[in-house]
Parts: sequence; C-alpha cells; structure tokens
Amino acid sequence: MSGLLLAVWLLPFAGALAIWALGPQLRRGAGWIGSATVLLAFVLTLVQWGAATASGGAHRALVTWIPGFTLGLLLDPLSLLWSLIITGVGGLILVYSIGYMWSDRAIARFFAYMNFFVFAMLTLVLSDNLVGLLVGWGLVGLASYFLIGFWFDRPSAVEAARKAFVINVVGDVGIMFAVFALYKATGSITFAGIFSQRDALSGGLLFMICGALFVGCAAKSAQVPLQTWLPDAMEGPTPVSALIHAATMVTAGVYLIARFAPLWNASPPARELVGVVGAVTALLGAILGIAQWDIKRILAYSTMSQIGYMIMGVGIGAYQAGVLHFFTHAFFKAGLFLTAGLLIHELHDEQDVRKMGGLSRRMPFAFYAMLAGTLAIIGFPGFSGYFSKDAVVYAMLEHGQPALYAVGALTAAITAYYMFRMLFLTFFGPYRGELEDAELGILPDRRAHRDEHMPPVHPAELTRPAVPVHGHAPAWLMNLPVAILALFAVIAGYVAIGGATSPWWRFFGGLFGAAPAVAASTVAFSESLSTLLVSALVAIGIIVAFVRYGSPAAQLASVERIRAESLGRPAIFAHAFYFDDAIDALVVRPARSVGTFIARFVDPHVLDGGVRDVAWGAGALGVIFRALQTGLVRSYALTILVGTACFIAYFALIGSAR
Amino acid sequence: MSLFYLLAVILIASAIFTITQKSPVYSVVGLLVNFLALAALYFTLNAEFLGVIQIVIYSGAILMLFVFVIALLSSGVGPFRAGPNRLPRIAAPALLTTLVAFGFLIFGIAQRPFGPLPPHRPTSFLGNVGDPNVFGSVGDFGVALFTVQLLPFEVTAFILMVAVIGVVLIAGDAVPQPTLGRHRPQKRAAEREPILKAPAP
Amino acid sequence: MSVDVTNYIALSAVMFFIGVAGVIVRRNPLIVLMAIELMFNAANLALVAFARVWVNNAGHIFVFLVVTVAAAEAAIGLAIVVAVFRRAENVDVDEVAGLHG
Repeated sequence: MSGLLLAVWLLPFAGALAIWALGPQLRRGAGWIGSATVLLAFVLTLVQWGAATASGGAHRALVTWIPGFTLGLLLDPLSLLWSLIITGVGGLILVYSIGYMWSDRAIARFFAYMNFFVFAMLTLVLSDNLVGLLVGWGLVGLASYFLIGFWFDRPSAVEAARKAFVINVVGDVGIMFAVFALYKATGSITFAGIFSQRDALSGGLLFMICGALFVGCAAKSAQVPLQTWLPDAMEGPTPVSALIHAATMVTAGVYLIARFAPLWNASPPARELVGVVGAVTALLGAILGIAQWDIKRILAYSTMSQIGYMIMGVGIGAYQAGVLHFFTHAFFKAGLFLTAGLLIHELHDEQDVRKMGGLSRRMPFAFYAMLAGTLAIIGFPGFSGYFSKDAVVYAMLEHGQPALYAVGALTAAITAYYMFRMLFLTFFGPYRGELEDAELGILPDRRAHRDEHMPPVHPAELTRPAVPVHGHAPAWLMNLPVAILALFAVIAGYVAIGGATSPWWRFFGGLFGAAPAVAASTVAFSESLSTLLVSALVAIGIIVAFVRYGSPAAQLASVERIRAESLGRPAIFAHAFYFDDAIDALVVRPARSVGTFIARFVDPHVLDGGVRDVAWGAGALGVIFRALQTGLVRSYALTILVGTACFIAYFALIGSAR
Repeated sequence: MSLFYLLAVILIASAIFTITQKSPVYSVVGLLVNFLALAALYFTLNAEFLGVIQIVIYSGAILMLFVFVIALLSSGVGPFRAGPNRLPRIAAPALLTTLVAFGFLIFGIAQRPFGPLPPHRPTSFLGNVGDPNVFGSVGDFGVALFTVQLLPFEVTAFILMVAVIGVVLIAGDAVPQPTLGRHRPQKRAAEREPILKAPAP
Repeated sequence: MSVDVTNYIALSAVMFFIGVAGVIVRRNPLIVLMAIELMFNAANLALVAFARVWVNNAGHIFVFLVVTVAAAEAAIGLAIVVAVFRRAENVDVDEVAGLHG
C-alpha cells in the first residue's frame, strides 16, 4: 500500500522529467504525458482511500535525514482530500491546457513546469513533517514563479513572477522560524511528534509559532497585507491561474492551518487574529473585485476573497467548514478560470470585459459553465458554494464572532454583485470588441508604457517556428474539463448536507480535535435563519448588479455606463487600496536606499577599501622583503647561519639555566 | 691522549687549508688529509668499519669525483673564471656570526661535560679494534645494518638511485642546451641527399 | 689514555664552523661543496663520539646514512656545477642568481 503512496508522489515528477528530457521532440505529446501521469496519480490516490481514512492514515517512511529525523509521506483524510483535488482538478486542467496551449511554441516547457508544480504541491501535502512541508512550500513557490513568468518575453510577466516569488519567500521565512521554534520546544519535526508534545507549548511561545506559521499562510494564500502578488500573477497562462492561483497552491495556507489544528486549538488569540485577517481579506478582495475590468483580475480578487473565507473558517476553529469551502472553491473557481480561458481563447487574448459582451449567443456552453460557477461562488441556494459559505459564515456566530459574521454576510452580497457584474458584462448586451478603446474609456496602460524601457528578450525559444496553427484543437479537449468542473461546482456541496452528521464531517473524524470557542457562542438565531439572511443579501447583490448591468435598459446603455465608470473609477480602487504603494514606501524604498548607501559608500570605501589596503600592505611588505630575496646562495647561507646561531644560543642558555 | 691532539691539529689545519686555497686542486689535497685524519680518529673511537668506509668512500670515491670535475672544467691549477663579487662585505658578518654561534656551542658543551670515555674491557662487548663481533667492528655493524636497520639501508639505495637519475638529467646531454646552440635542427628527410643516387640514364 | 668526549665534540664544532665559514665566504662552487663535506664530516665525528659514549651502534648506522647522502649530494652538486659551467660564462656562486626578487 505504501508503495502506491510513493508512486502517487513521484508520478508527476517522472512526467516532468520525461517532458523535460524529451520536450522539443514531444511537442503536444508532452501534454498527454503530463495529463496521463497526473490522472494516473489521481486514480492511485483514490485507490488508497480506505487506507487513508483508516485510523492514523497511510504512512511511509522515506529516509532518515539525521538520526532522529525521519522524513516520510503521510496520507490521512486531510492530505487525501488535498491530493485528490491536486491530481483530480489538476489533471482536468492539464487536459484543458493541451487545447489552450495548442499552438504555443513552448508547450513542452509549460507541461514540464505544470507537472513539476503538481509534484511540488504533493510534496507539500503528503509530507509527514515540517521540513518536507517547507521544501514543498518552497518548490510550489518556485513552480509558481516559473509559470507566472512563463511568457518571459513579456516584461510585465517577468516582473509579476519576481514579485510573487519575493513575497512568497517572506512567507517561507515565517515558516522556517516556526520550524525552528517548534523543534526547539518539542524536539521533533514530524506532525505526530509535535502534536504529542504540544503540552510543551503554551502562551506567548505558541502564539509566536502560530503567528510565524500564519506569515507563511498569508504570503502563500494572498492574505492582507501580503496579497498584492496574486492579481499580478494573472500574467501567467490561464490554466496556471486556474490550477495554482485558484484551486491548489493559494489554498496551501488553509492546509497548513488545518494541519496544525491541534496547535491552533490551544491558542485562541492566534485564532482570533487569523479570523480577523481572513475577514478583512475577504471584504477587501470583494470590494476590489467590483472595480476591475480585466476578467482574470476579477477572478483573482474573488479568489483572494474566497480564500479569506477559508482562512476565516479554519482560523476561527471551524475546520470542516473552512476545508469544505476549499473543496467547493477548487471546482467552481477552476471552472470559472477555465471558462474565462475559453473566452480569452475565443477572443484572441482579449481579457478586458469592456471589450466583451453579448457572448451568450456566440458561446452558449461557456455561458452555462460560467453561470454554474458564478451561482456556486456567490452561494446561490442549491449550488456548492451555498453549503460551504453558509457553514463558514454561520461558524462565526457559533464561535462568538458577530463582527466577523457581519463581514462574511456583507462580503457574500458584494461577491454576488461583482460576479454578476462580470457575467452581465461578458455575456449580455452588445458585443463591444470592435469599439475603439477611447469610446469605452480604456486608458493606455501604464504598465505597457513601462515595458518599453526594459531590454528586449531574444531567447532561442522565440526564434523557433511556432507549432503550425492549422489543425485546431478538438473542442472537447477544453470543453470536457470545464463541463466536469461545472458539474462539480453544482453538486460538490451535497456532501455536507446534514451539518455535523454529514459524510463530510464524518470523513475527518477527530482529526482536528475540539476547538474551544474563542468567545462565548453568540448564536442569536438558528442556522436556517442565518442562511435565509445571507441568501437575501446575495439576492440584493444580484438585483443591484441586474439593475446596473443586466436589465434591458442597462444593456442598451452599457457603452456609456462603462465609459463613465472607467473614467470615474476612484483612485483608491485603481491603486488597490494603496497596498503596493505602502509596501513600496515602507519596505522597497528603505531597502533600496540602504542598498544605495552600501553600493556608494560601504562597498567602495569599507569593503573594497579594506581589501585594497590589505593588498597595498602586502605589496609594501613584499617590497621590503624583496631585498632579502637576492638570489645569491651565500646570502641565503648567512641567513640560515643566523637562524642556526639563534637556535644554538637558545639551547645553550636553556641548558645553563637548568 | 697525544694521538687525539695530534689528529685534532691535523684536522683543523687541513680544514682551514681546504677553504683558503685559491685553486680547488689544493683544496682537494687538504680535504684528503682531513679525511684520513678523521678516519684515524674513528679508529680511536672503536668505529673501525666507519674508519674504513671513510677512506674508501670519501677519499676514494667522492674526492675522486671532485678531481674529475676539476679536470673536466679547467686545467685544475688555475682559478676558475669568476665574475664580480656581489657580496664583497659578507666576510665580516659571516665570521662574526660564526664565532658567536661557535662560542655559544662551546658554552653549551662546557655546561654539561660528558666525562671520560668508558674504558676498554676486552671481555665485554667493547673490545679492541680489530676484534670481530665487538662494538664498532664490521661484524657488529653488519648485523645491525641487515637486521634492525634494514629499512633505512634500503632507503639509502633509493636515495642513490634518485641521485643517479638526477645527475643524468642535470648534466646529461639528453636535455637540449639552448644557450649553447649545439643542436642544430636536423634536415627533414625530403631535404636530405639520397644515399644512393639513381644512375643517370 | 682516555680522552674526554667533550674534546671530540669541541673538535667537531670547530670543524663544522670552518666549513660554515667556507660556504659563506668562498665563491668557487667546488670549494663551497668541499666545505659542505667538511660540515658533514664534523657532524659524523660528533655522531661517532656519541655512539662511543653510549656504546650504541645506532650512531654508526646514522653516519653510514650521512655518508650515503653526502655522496648523493656531492654527485648532484657537481652535476649542477658542470651544467652551470656549460651555460654561464663564469663559474661562480654569485653568477647563479636567477631567483632574485
């Protein structure tokens, strides 16, 4: 059984290696190899369902790193769930990518990176210890960097990749601190070892460890204030956004918190902090989602917002609810991104919703897929998001956080508004793709302007002839994954019908332990009433969106409205609440001035100067001692004689002193 | 007693003679006298085998080597061609340091005198010179050389072999001598005259 | 009849420093080599004297090794003299100063 676990872990890596080694020859075959290995890993994971849900899960020791540090793989319900999503949704996205990347020059490189990412993510979730988790944590960041910067001839993509990588490293450092502190306190790096010693942790130390872990979560899962990389990460190909920046990698923070549930349970202040951060992120992402025009950025902000929900749920102690939201989100958000990819593909790389519109007649399949995803994400009754989001929001009340409850409910309304705004703008009204930019109020992009100052890139890959475009990808290649994801976006929530007695709750058993409430329960009304309330707020959001963008009158006036909105967009939205500027002012510019100081003063005068002085001193000594190096044998003999005389004198005097 | 002092005077005098002669041939003669006196001194110290090899190897082999080289390089009587003296004032500090070191050495020896030699006892291990199998005799030396000291003895063979190879490399003709230019490049085969000319038709 | 060993050692020291003086002061490479032989022999004399004091023939073996090394040294030294004589105009230890700083 444990051999299977190893196979699950290494299959995607084997695929990556094969594609890497044979890439240029494989071309599109790379996609088939990549998809096949990942889907095979999915099947092998599914086979181990029984072993994973048994007590203790499936475990395999891999290697003893240092005596006492045994690294291994662990498949328990939590990692089983994540592995299934990674390989299952990942496999679907890979199949979709074959179609999406059909005529890209670097299709083999794309699939090598994607398989590498799947391997890295499996390392993260399958590892039974913190070191392996940290390695996976770093590797997914690396894979993310590769894939965001996949089109590395675009300076904006390179810049976005670098930004994502740097911010993720901040999180890695946080986790590393947590590893050190946990090892110091418990003497173990494995999860089981740490949890068996958790009594050694308490109070300030525990809060510090949880805080350090949460820094990692915040960076990886785009929580405030480390969220700014996620919207920029949309520079990558759309399947990348679907897999890494929606379904799997950005939920690693949720995984980490759920994995360390026994620690979080013991630290109510840390949980409160995480809950608040999650709520703020959820609200902020939703508000920013309102003001975006790029379809992928809308989805990016909605991802950020939904992960805020998840973090809020697992942080406050409602692990099952938070993880359920991860589960449903993986389907509907991946489905939404892939549907957006269908649109982008159809419209030849147009991502601006202002230049879309009226696509429901042209692409009915995409419309229904998008509709399913949208209804799921806003929590429309009967769709998957309805179950998970309600569970998270209601858990706030159960754990005595009415303020977070209010934020969650409000965010649900805003989510409904901006998602339907996107839906109406893309699929209803007139098609605006042929209109001039100015007519729609589209201003020249600042970023595009900046690109001109960056040096051009001429890698060999770009000079290679493109894969011939003729022979379009078969339509099912992209539609089938979308259809499956849309289906699950509808039904995935049904596993949780019945609350605490549902299969979902029983699946995890006692894995998370009991989370003592942070504050006294403030349940003022029943769950069904809460559901009704949230649904009403969602309905209000939909109605507002309908009135502004969806009604027949609004559809007719859409061009004018879009122009007015584009030109009148408040600066605070355009700058995404000035987080980038704040980071720039607080971190980047001081660091740069320190760097400038070091480059201008310390380096030339202290370091180089010191080295130069040492060199000058050595040279001066050389000039002095050069005189002794006469080359004349007799002078050397005299020198030896002087030394000999000293020795003789020394021993003669020592002898007389005795 | 008086034999020692006689030999000591001969040793010192011949040593000074050796290093003061202008012509190296005279120095060789001084050195020969020195070695012979030293051999005699070895006999007084019961080292009869060493006394013999002092004569055979030093006087017979090494000094002959010196004489050969002198004969090879010059007539052997005149001074060698010498360039300018680049350290004209080295004699004073050298002699001063030498005297100081010598003084300290004598001072050190005088601090802890060794006392007289142990007396000869014919019945003991220390026998008369010429007796076999007593201290310093050929038998005694040979047994030691081929039993406990066998490894150093073998190593001397290795050292000599290295020296032979070194000498051949340094002084042999195998190495081209660029400054003398004695080795003219040989004509290539095509330029050489044919040994047998074809008869003219 | 018996002579104090100290006398032998002192004689050895005198011979040794005569050799040292010869090495430093003389410029004829052959005489320098001979002075080195003097120094070897002075050391040998001391070794033989010590062997006699302690009635231990290890000193004799050591002298044997020194003689061997001296032979090798003389052979190589003379070979160098011959080689220098072939190349340089003057045969003089001051002439061979190619390694000056």
